Parts: sequence; C-alpha cells; structure tokens
Amino acid sequence: MTVKIKSFPGTSLSEEDFEQGKILYNYDELNGKFAWDNGIAIGRYLASLKEGVILGARCTTCRKIVVPPRIVCEWCFRPMHEYVPLQDTGTVNTFSLCYVTWDMRRVKDPEIPAVIEIDGASPLHGIMHLLGEVDPQKVHIGMRVNAVWRAAEDRSGAITDILYFKPLEEV
Amino acid sequence: MSLLERGPNAPQAWFGELPVSNRYTYGLAGERFFRTIKEEGRITGTYCQKCDHTYVPAVQFCEKCLGELSDWVDVDAVGELHTFTLLYEAYGGARLDKPEIVAFVVFGDGGLIHRLREVDPDDIYFGMPVEAVFKPKEQRVGSILDIAYFRLVG
Repeated sequence: MTVKIKSFPGTSLSEEDFEQGKILYNYDELNGKFAWDNGIAIGRYLASLKEGVILGARCTTCRKIVVPPRIVCEWCFRPMHEYVPLQDTGTVNTFSLCYVTWDMRRVKDPEIPAVIEIDGASPLHGIMHLLGEVDPQKVHIGMRVNAVWRAAEDRSGAITDILYFKPLEEV
Repeated sequence: MSLLERGPNAPQAWFGELPVSNRYTYGLAGERFFRTIKEEGRITGTYCQKCDHTYVPAVQFCEKCLGELSDWVDVDAVGELHTFTLLYEAYGGARLDKPEIVAFVVFGDGGLIHRLREVDPDDIYFGMPVEAVFKPKEQRVGSILDIAYFRLVG
C-alpha cells in the first residue's frame, strides 16, 4: 500500500476462503506445449554442451568469436567462418544476488545469475548462467570462474548441462 | 561439415511446457447465484425496478442504468426454449451418433445455455416449455453443471 492508497476496493479473497469452501470457484489447468526450433547454430551449441564443450563461432572478417554461436555475423552480416570450441572458464562480467526465485518464493541463500565472458571468445562476449560454491558477498566483477558440469551420462543437450560456474581460486 | 548444416547429433528443437492453472471466481452476484443452485436447487435472477428488467443469471449491476441491484427474485420453474442446435461432434472432435442438443432457455429477460435431453430432436419447437433437472444435492458443487440438463415439461 502507498501513502495515498490505504486499501484496494473490492472483495479480497484469502487462501483459506478457497480451502474451507467459503467461496465457489472453477478450477482449470491449461498446458501450453511448445517446440522451439533451435536453428542450426544453437542446435550445435546444445549438442556440444552434451559433449562438455562450450561452442562459439568465428568471423574472420570481423576477427570476432561469439558465444553462443550463430551462422551470420551480427556486425558484417556475412556468414560465420567456422565453429570453434571454447574453454569452460571465464570472467564475471556482471551479476545479481537474487533473493526471489522464478516462482516468487523468498529464499535466504540468493541465486546468483551472472553474465560470464567465456575464455576464447572475444572480450565482452559471454553467456548468462548461475554462480555456485561461492559466498554471495564475495562475488565481484572480474572474478575468474570455471564451469561445473553435470555428469556426462546425465547431460541432455541443454544449458543446464552446466550446473553453475564456481570461482577458480579462493576468494 | 558445413557451417550451415544442422549437426547430426544436434537437437532439432527445444521442447517445453507452460503449465497454467487458474481459479475462476464468480463474483458477488455469481457466488450467490451458484450457491442457490448448489444448496437449494433454484435458479435466481436480479430485478431492476427502474428499467423493469430481470437479469438471469443474476448480476450485481444493471447493464442499462448501471445501478446496483439488490432485488433477488426466483425465476419461473419453467423456461421457454428460445433456440437450439444439434451437436454431432464431441468435445475432442469425435463423431457422435446421437446428437447432443444445446439450447438457450429463456428465464426472465435473460436465460441459460444448457443441454436439452429426454427429447427427440424432431419434436423440438421454438417456445417449447422446458424445466431444469438438477443433480442430487450431494453431487452439486456450485457449477452450471449442477443442472444436469433441461427437459420438456410434463
């Protein structure tokens, strides 16, 4: 509530009103199933994650290596020249301490989403992932991290095949 | 391997699901309307004296003068069949041998859309008097389907 608004108009309902049958309602479940075409480059990116490799793509015209890979260079609009395997280490470019989960639960130990510049890619080129095994208060921009992979037999060709990134050295 | 070829082991697509659940509450008037159906097996409406209009199902505010309505009335037990359609296709798209009849039944100045049963499609006529057949009270949950179907009076 704000200074001006002390209460909202209307009849508010609580969870108990539903559970104790004080209110009639219709419950329904929808399930939106979807298939998102990976395209050529992201398909290869996911396939190589399953092999434990982060894949990038090189444009020799622009002398750039981007990650995740794509088939067209965003700077010169020419086709990329080749896919290149990158290292699974990198540098924290930016991060956030997140005390609310995706489904809006409050948590004591924050999730730490971060953009990580991957070693082998051009500077400032990276992917977004989570940080783990680290004191949230000690995370800093420029921190060196490496990927913690899911066990090879459990990998499914998804970005979650990397569990999180953890600091390379003690912080 | 060409840069523009899909990888032999590359997944074609990312599959996902967006589960969405919802609770639809009926509102102040709808709550009372469905609770009366559930607990008393009666269909109710609200009457606007200013506009001389009986709303069925009951509504909280008059759609003509926007005044709040507090005059709750019982509708006649017998409604009038206003229009109907024969459905030869089930919800999932399967073909039905015996059609489901869906009818608009007039009560007051409004009415309900519901199933019509216990009648031969050839015998239906506009203006036919029909009545609601309620489910047994213990099966009623406060939904329009607490009325099992409508049937010809008599």
